[in-house]
Amino acid sequence: MSVDRRFVLKSMVLGGAAGVVLSRSVPVLAGVPPSHSGIRPALALVGSGAAEAAFLQGARAAAGTELPVQQMDRGLDCMLDFEHQLRAGRPMQVIGLLDDAAATLVLDLARSAGARVHWLGQHTAEAGSTRHRLLNADLAEGCARQLSRHLHACGAGFTLNEERQGSVAPARQLAGPARSGAGSVQWAAGIGSLLATLGTRPTMMPRVSVQGTLLSGSFVSFSIEV
Amino acid sequence: MSEQMSGVLPRGVTQKKFNAAVEKFRALLGEGNVLLKAEQLIPYNKIMMSVENAAHAPSAVLTATTVEQVQGIVKICNQYRIPIWTISTGRNFGYGTAAPVQRGQVILDLKKMNRIIKIDPEMCYALVEPGVTFQQLYDYIEENKLPLMLSFSAPSAIAGPLGNTMDRGVGYTPYGEHFMMQCGMEVVLANGDVYRTGMGGVKGSNTWQIFKWGYGPTLDGMFTQANYGITTKMGFWLMPRPPVFKPFEVIFENEADIVEIVDILRPLRMAQIIPNSVVIANILWEAGSAHLRRRDYTTEPGHTPDPILEKMQKDSGMGAWNLYAALYGTQEQVDVNWKIITDAFRKHGKGRIVTQEEAGHKQPFKYRAELMSGVPNLQEFGLYNWRGGGGSMWFAPVSEARGSECEKQALLAKRILHKYGLDYVAEFIVAPRDMHHVIDVLYDRTSEEETKRADACFNELLDEFEKEGYAVYRVNTRFQERVARSYGPVKRDVEHAIKRALDPNNILAPGRSGIDLDTYRTRRSAKSTASDES
Ligand SMILES: Cc1cc2nc3c(=O)[nH]c(=O)nc-3n(C[C@H](O)[C@H](O)[C@H](O)COP(=O)(O)OP(=O)(O)OC[C@H]3O[C@@H](n4cnc5c(N)ncnc54)[C@H](O)[C@@H]3O)c2cc1C
Repeated sequence: MSVDRRFVLKSMVLGGAAGVVLSRSVPVLAGVPPSHSGIRPALALVGSGAAEAAFLQGARAAAGTELPVQQMDRGLDCMLDFEHQLRAGRPMQVIGLLDDAAATLVLDLARSAGARVHWLGQHTAEAGSTRHRLLNADLAEGCARQLSRHLHACGAGFTLNEERQGSVAPARQLAGPARSGAGSVQWAAGIGSLLATLGTRPTMMPRVSVQGTLLSGSFVSFSIEV
Repeated sequence: MSEQMSGVLPRGVTQKKFNAAVEKFRALLGEGNVLLKAEQLIPYNKIMMSVENAAHAPSAVLTATTVEQVQGIVKICNQYRIPIWTISTGRNFGYGTAAPVQRGQVILDLKKMNRIIKIDPEMCYALVEPGVTFQQLYDYIEENKLPLMLSFSAPSAIAGPLGNTMDRGVGYTPYGEHFMMQCGMEVVLANGDVYRTGMGGVKGSNTWQIFKWGYGPTLDGMFTQANYGITTKMGFWLMPRPPVFKPFEVIFENEADIVEIVDILRPLRMAQIIPNSVVIANILWEAGSAHLRRRDYTTEPGHTPDPILEKMQKDSGMGAWNLYAALYGTQEQVDVNWKIITDAFRKHGKGRIVTQEEAGHKQPFKYRAELMSGVPNLQEFGLYNWRGGGGSMWFAPVSEARGSECEKQALLAKRILHKYGLDYVAEFIVAPRDMHHVIDVLYDRTSEEETKRADACFNELLDEFEKEGYAVYRVNTRFQERVARSYGPVKRDVEHAIKRALDPNNILAPGRSGIDLDTYRTRRSAKSTASDES
């Protein structure tokens, strides 16, 4: 992996509450800017955990631009605000990593606002391994393989199931054994990076170096376009 | 328009026919209302059921804005034998969400038909189109300062009265049995006719939303949980906003208390002393709704052990069972009923009564009080984070409102769920005589093994409950055919006879509640085939 394409994150685990801090600044990615073609994300929706922070760092690094961020909760006002944005008639690309409850609401509001969803991922992280279930459209072609390479490089064990919407082919199953002990939130940074550059030619994904172990949790990632 | 190749087609429909139908849909509705691309269909395919998404993938989505367009759609569907799955607001989470019952069905999404046609604040009713949400109604009522109160399902703000009633959903006010409060429907039949139920057929009638029964057979119920028509308008009654609303909770420490809770409650419900759809939620429903997460208590696989539940009770002050109810009326009425209720529970000696003043803004009390007074919120979605993983299927058997029966069902469900390593996350919604025993079968869809386990668990729940004479009131689309079998062959024969009469081409949601002319053989035709063969 090119050093230029790398950035390092450190995770701090503080008595259950986890935060991720950027330990050094991220050089803008070399070569063709990832947003050169494909869709450029205009907004990232995230919750407040370590995985979400890693997702955001990955997305920002890959997008090579400022990425506005909206913290989401499941509150009615927050959801109605988001719905309002979706219906404002402005073309917009939204990516995110949220918990199950918030993501269910966001995605269904997107449906009723007539949005297109290119990527819908369900992710579980637990002791030393991650599991991923993806439902994708054409724009995400190749992303599952790229993600699996990234997960493999991260060292934690993983399973990945990818369904292509509208495909007659059975779901693609990918898996990798754990190669190193604990694993990390790198998986989330990888997904952030993938979604930020969805539709562009494949880029290398950022690496995240974490202190502390993989945090268990369940998340939903998405790329929505209105 | 170039020839389109679809990975997903309706059952028995060739690509050529499908493309021809699509062209007709485009001509009728306009290009923007015929969705075919994968990225347009993905948001309709976030199912939470224990199968691959592919099993419920739509081939297309249509959006319509007028009754005439809906008539035009059924005409095209008849011509090309295209099966169509109708949704209104489409938030049927845990029952199949917006996805069709069978792979390849075309979704008809009526979200754009979203006019509040009428709200009559004196006669206290509303007439709405399918896409109207409860939030829309709430805003309308607030803006116009109407003295009315809504009743809705917990997804409140984002769901809608028409879709919820079509699936015979429930809410938490005295008007909580929504189909009971429905009055007058307009239905587009498979042959394109527009049928108005009740008084709706009488020219110039002003009682369509006033008197349910009309004359002769009353057919409204036939269109709910069914596939005999597409409902394009629905009337329903609204509760006058009472001058006083008094929500309360009664907390019980022991699981076994359910017997006494229900037996104390039943006479109070029957006599309308407690007038609303009461909820009795167990500790895990409370925990999920209060946004607690399982992994904060244990990371062990399997069901959450009882000692942990007890610790949660101790830490949080939640009960093993938590009863939520409310009083509505004038101060005098509320005072009288409050005394009767508090006397009944005090005499029993176990429950701890909590009033709104005591609870303040504490959850889950706050959102429960809001649901019981028609104020929308999304608090209960916290259930999805209890385990996480995106799997959720409601198992909702009907029970007598009798303590011993509720306990029997609770123990049976808990035993089966635990056998499969899943949690018993449950509430009883209490009507005077029946209870909807609603259990959220939560599991992790990222784990193939757990998904299979949840599937087996759901099947066993259905089987074991059936052996005891119990059946569910509503179920997700994966299990609709299975549940139809619980209700016996004669019912199924009748349902299919009606289907043949009203929709001979089987275009409306085949498979809905197990009604499908292509796959179902009546007992009579099965018998005659058998005798032909012998
Ligand atoms: C946390 C949580 C809590 C919930 N609590 C409740 C609750 O308290 N009570 C409850 O009832 N449910 C509850 N649900 C389940 C569900 O979300 C609601 O019932 C919701 O109201 C249904 O979605 P909808 O109103 O958008 O109806 P829709 O999804 O639009 O419709 C439901 C079904 O009715 C049929 N239908 C819809 N429109 C038509 C039409 N025009 N013509 C013919 N058939 C039609 C279709 O089969 C459709 O699938 C809950 C779900 C969650 C996640």
